[in-house]
Amino acid sequence: MGLRDYVVTRILLTIPMMMILLTVVFIVMRVLPGNPVLLRFEKNADPTLIATYTHALGLDKPLYLQYLDYLWGLLHGNLGLSMAGSFEPVAPEITSRFPATLELTFYAFIVAVIVGVLLGALGAQKQGGAADNSVKVFGILIYAFPVFFLGMILQLIFGVGLHILPVSGRLDPGVIPTSPSIAGIHFQTGILTVDSLLSGNLPEFVDAVKHLILPATALGLVISGTFTRMTRTNMLETMRADFVTAARARGLKERTVTYSYALRNAILPIVTIMGLQFAILLSGAILTETEFNILGLGTYLVDRINFRDYTAVQGTVVFLALLITTVSLVVDILYAYLDPRVRL
Amino acid sequence: MKTTQQTRSKPQTLSAMSRLLGPLIGKGYGRGMMLVGIGITVIIVAMSVLAPSIAPRDPTLIGLGLPNNPPSAAFPLGTDQYGRDMLSRIIWGGRFILLVAVAAVAICLVIGLPIGLVSAYKGGNFDRFVALIMDSIYAFPSLVLAVMIISVFGVTIINEALAIAVVYIPSYFRVVRSQVLSIKEMPYVDAAKSAGAGTPSILWKYVWPNVIPSVVVVVGMNFADSILTTAGLDFIGLGLPVTLPDWGIDLTYGRQSLPLGVWWTIVFAGGMILLAALGFALISEGYAERTNPKLR
Repeated sequence: MGLRDYVVTRILLTIPMMMILLTVVFIVMRVLPGNPVLLRFEKNADPTLIATYTHALGLDKPLYLQYLDYLWGLLHGNLGLSMAGSFEPVAPEITSRFPATLELTFYAFIVAVIVGVLLGALGAQKQGGAADNSVKVFGILIYAFPVFFLGMILQLIFGVGLHILPVSGRLDPGVIPTSPSIAGIHFQTGILTVDSLLSGNLPEFVDAVKHLILPATALGLVISGTFTRMTRTNMLETMRADFVTAARARGLKERTVTYSYALRNAILPIVTIMGLQFAILLSGAILTETEFNILGLGTYLVDRINFRDYTAVQGTVVFLALLITTVSLVVDILYAYLDPRVRL
Repeated sequence: MKTTQQTRSKPQTLSAMSRLLGPLIGKGYGRGMMLVGIGITVIIVAMSVLAPSIAPRDPTLIGLGLPNNPPSAAFPLGTDQYGRDMLSRIIWGGRFILLVAVAAVAICLVIGLPIGLVSAYKGGNFDRFVALIMDSIYAFPSLVLAVMIISVFGVTIINEALAIAVVYIPSYFRVVRSQVLSIKEMPYVDAAKSAGAGTPSILWKYVWPNVIPSVVVVVGMNFADSILTTAGLDFIGLGLPVTLPDWGIDLTYGRQSLPLGVWWTIVFAGGMILLAALGFALISEGYAERTNPKLR
């Protein structure tokens, strides 16, 4: 099967997967609890108020029509209306919150890959030794760490104790995010490290990075355990391969054999777990954002839950579902491109 | 020779039990990890069960000491922001989080296992359809799914357990399925078929005992993840009532005193969650190393 056929098949498989997720969300949020407006208000609330809400949110229609509206809306980028205030659409709020989450998860991912790959390679190189055992213990210990607990410990040490890093928010109060302009057009990605670099605002960049260090480290370290284990197992397998023996037989240094020959081939399968890791990162991001007061999608979700704003919760969950399926699609295609054997 | 005869006389019980318990005995890879894990878990479970008789004070009594008092002779682990005794709260605090985990694992075993066994053994379109649903759920951020379920159905121990189970059933399904897919091609399964054994008896006598070791590994991780998820739900305000003595709740509310440098509530409550999850993760990992040579 050529790459193009693989891509087409994979895309076709994504459609039922998306439909299943969207349907599950609809069933849990709309069908099982009945009317979400009744969930929001006490039983003895004003009936006219309930009627207004029910009508404004389209919940007085038959279920199958609600379902079709929901899917039709999604095709047009409509994630539904919020129950708060004057029924604002949810989508713009999500797009404004998403860059913060993206930025956090991106840097956390970098931390996880660097720590995971280095430790995993070290463990494999010293298989069975003290270093290997320490790496193994680290992998399990860090997995068992609640990410927000690790965040609190980092805050205690570097924020409250040493006063060298900020413990909350994305920028110091008073620092206003700049919007870069290219060819005279002003725009904002919302990703502070990118925006500040593009507009050449170095103090803002430094401030944004300072605010990212603790949350990205906490989230990245917790995820790194999986990368450590994966790299170690792959490395051990690769170290037994013929081309590694051949490299050794040619008299290359053990370091060169480990890092230039074996590691390069062992890293490739890590791409396959990136899709799943992204889902785990998003779960962790909800907790990390809450711990560090970062106004991203995670804090939005928690905030809407506490306001019993079920339609906004649904919109956020749907957005995450679409995001996850898209990311895993892209990751699979990337892997098929990198490793032709997948397409067989 | 004696053992062979015993095996013949009582095949399924002996082989199932020996597959479950066999890896617990003897030296070799993963033993240390597994024993440390079992040790931690036994201590924590014993402490939680015996809490009413071993806790020195009432964990919910406000104003026993001064608020946010550091560890001292009177309060070995200090007091929290309401002046409650942290030592007693720590001793009591595992009861609910562990109860949720036990309930979640039980639901997963009852639902996830049979689906995986039957779906993989039957194969065909039914299997493909179930696998697609399970894969879709598996790919979804687990905390988001749990949050969605609990926010709609309300916070109770059963709902928390259900939400965690829904998130985790696909893991059981995938592990059991991949095992069954290879086991069902084994010659001894063919032999049993040609000897006239029916599907239920093949699944029970020949397939299930060989799936047990990998199920044990998943159960261990399920316990660890369940503890972490419950603590996470507490943290974002979807946990059990805040009046209960609970590690997750203590960690969440201890956070309010963090800027004052009050480290003890956070470190002890968080440390217990970490330790409990670590105990189960070590059992799972050690058991996996003992039964799967590839991991060594």
